[in-house]
Amino acid sequence: MKKKILFINIIVVIAVALTGCWNAMELNTLGINLVLGLDFENGKVIVTAEIIEPVPAKEKSAMEKGSAVTYVQGIGDNIFDAFRNITLKFDRKLYIAHNKIIIFGEGFVEGESANDIDMLVRDHELRETTYFLIAKEAKAYEVMGIAAGLEEIPGNYILKLINNFKYNPKAVNVNLAEYLRHFYDMGRQPVLGIIEKKEKKQINKLKKSSKDKEYELSVIGAAAFNKHRLVGYLNGTETKAFNFIMGKVKTGIVTFPTPNESVDEISTPTLVMESDIDSQRPSKISMSTIDIIKLKSKRDVEIIDGNIVLKVDIRLRGSLEEFIGNMDISSDIEMKEIEKACSQEIKNKLMNTLIKVQKEFETDIFGFGNIFHRKYPKEWHEIKDNWNEIFSKSDLQVEVKTNVIRTGLINEPIGRIKGK
Amino acid sequence: MENLENINKISTYQVILLIIIYRVTIAFTYLPVVNIPPGNQDIWITLLMSIPYTILLCVPLLYLGNKFSDYTLIEYTEKISGKIAGKVISIYYTGFLLLLSIINVATLVEILNSALFPETPTWITTIIMLITCVYIAYKGLKSIARGGEIFVPFILGVILLFIILGYNNYDFTVLLPVLKDSTFKELNIGAIDSGIKFSDIIILAMIPPYLERKEDLNKIYIKSIIYSIFIIILLVVATQAALGIEYAKHTNFPFFTFNRLINLYDFIQRIDVLSVVGWITGNVGKITGYLYFTSVAFSQTFDKNDNRPYIIPIAGIVFIATLLIKDRRSILSVGKVLQKTILITSTIALFVLPTITLVIYLFRKDKISNTNND
Repeated sequence: MKKKILFINIIVVIAVALTGCWNAMELNTLGINLVLGLDFENGKVIVTAEIIEPVPAKEKSAMEKGSAVTYVQGIGDNIFDAFRNITLKFDRKLYIAHNKIIIFGEGFVEGESANDIDMLVRDHELRETTYFLIAKEAKAYEVMGIAAGLEEIPGNYILKLINNFKYNPKAVNVNLAEYLRHFYDMGRQPVLGIIEKKEKKQINKLKKSSKDKEYELSVIGAAAFNKHRLVGYLNGTETKAFNFIMGKVKTGIVTFPTPNESVDEISTPTLVMESDIDSQRPSKISMSTIDIIKLKSKRDVEIIDGNIVLKVDIRLRGSLEEFIGNMDISSDIEMKEIEKACSQEIKNKLMNTLIKVQKEFETDIFGFGNIFHRKYPKEWHEIKDNWNEIFSKSDLQVEVKTNVIRTGLINEPIGRIKGK
Repeated sequence: MENLENINKISTYQVILLIIIYRVTIAFTYLPVVNIPPGNQDIWITLLMSIPYTILLCVPLLYLGNKFSDYTLIEYTEKISGKIAGKVISIYYTGFLLLLSIINVATLVEILNSALFPETPTWITTIIMLITCVYIAYKGLKSIARGGEIFVPFILGVILLFIILGYNNYDFTVLLPVLKDSTFKELNIGAIDSGIKFSDIIILAMIPPYLERKEDLNKIYIKSIIYSIFIIILLVVATQAALGIEYAKHTNFPFFTFNRLINLYDFIQRIDVLSVVGWITGNVGKITGYLYFTSVAFSQTFDKNDNRPYIIPIAGIVFIATLLIKDRRSILSVGKVLQKTILITSTIALFVLPTITLVIYLFRKDKISNTNND
């Protein structure tokens, strides 16, 4: 009996102790954060936080866009200090477990040491899947608070832009874990996404706007780093070439100059019907487009006669989505010309990007160093400390092969009369 | 009669499960092997190489276990080494088991405090954990082993699930080149280090009298080593492929950090809570086992018949020691002291003392056999 009473008492004590533990976090005490902006001004860190403003569902429909969030700033000696200083002027404790994006102002990144972002990795609340973006030529807080899409919350708008990477490889989506993986890598340097504020043309005249100007955000391009030092930016086309080389492109398009002439000399030409359509008339647009169905990329490094040659081999399978020109697509030879033109265009873009990264950045963001390490491990140990220098002086070799496997719903271009 | 005897015995399968999970829990929790030499992509080879070392290092322990299968390590040590020397060695073993219990509790408390409940005082986390473990330890070895049959497959399932779900985070090229960046010496140092730190094998030396099939001792030993190494290799490869070699070394809980990366189709995410459930379950099972065997070692060292009265006092010592250690310094992030302590104490417990005992046994073989026959 005594044992039973003791047991019941223990259960009661434990039950009381466990009902509300020390780390209980009630929703009405938290400021749930979606985006963090980090800037560095006058020797101080400025943290800007975008916080969700919880509203009842019935009020939601009447709300203006952007009013679902509020912004607070904290200034401190380091990130955590600035972060905690927010509590002195904001009534809720910031909760960053749901943070999706961290935007670094360019001033923060310039001269940044990896140790400056120690808190972002050490703190248990922030997830390793948080995306990193660099506010190109701007402060982080300057690009925050803009929702130019259909999303009501600016943070979600930026997140959707980042996720649109799968449709357009002119951007990169790099999170904290991926950044750190490459930061520690001797043979590959990190690349981060960028974000820019751009003025938006006012097209909807029906919408009365109190603002003089309207802005939208763009995540086109990428920022290249040498360890923690920002070495330069890639524009959209270069970023696309970077993604091609890294084999990260799942979908996307390639726009290339349409080959000028028909080269079909073997097959019998179809008779041209009398028509008022002049198929020989030059078009204002001279570019055609292939939609990528599948893209394979292979990077390799070889030592030829003592010179290091960096090789890229691209195999692309696509669908002809837009053809502006006067060619007989049904002819295999002419189709090969189109494929060749596409391959040449890709090759040019890849070469331009590789040369820019080699000569301007002098930093291996493509991971050729890792390939060299795998292929020539002995030599790697001798040159690994100078790899970026060696990379920037290496020879380049790019091969691209395009294969058009679909032509859409039509065969000949619409300006061309097939005849009999 | 035979069935009656078997009531308090545990099966070969149950022992294998317990020893596997005791070892895997360490890797699942803080994966210390990513930091052992050579500290690069060849760690998995080091782990494979550790198998023969582990077997070799534990040959004396295993030989004696087979010879004295009716006795625990404490009992046969005293039989072989004599009353005084035997007592000294037994006290060391009791202390070693107690130390491992303290390390296990301190590790679990550190995980919970740093990853989940930063504001909860250490004593609350420790006491809740210890009450649970004391309760299970009181129920005896049979209950611990039967519990293992439920929680071990669950934990192994969780590990496997995470390894599968993390597939889109892997970059296996980080594991290349193989054997090009490590020297033979580094690989062997790492393998020996890993082999010696397999301190959980001490449990096997305490278990023979409770085994249903004593002749399976060698089978249990080999199987538990191979299976546990295979699972740890899976953990290491998955973690290194997802985080990279260096980042994995920087994190206190590498496999947990890898679990936090899992995001499939935007709805399978934030499932690392499962990992935490696995941690807590595995560590509770391990702490319970160590509490139980520490109490058995204590009761046998001091010639007491029942181990149960000593479970609560031992838990009290573990509680106080955990508070003293944990409120002073982090044992995982400032982990060199911990690793050194485990290395030295394990070497003595698993190799040095059993070797001395074996040598004494070989010299006094006839006398000991006569005593046994008497």
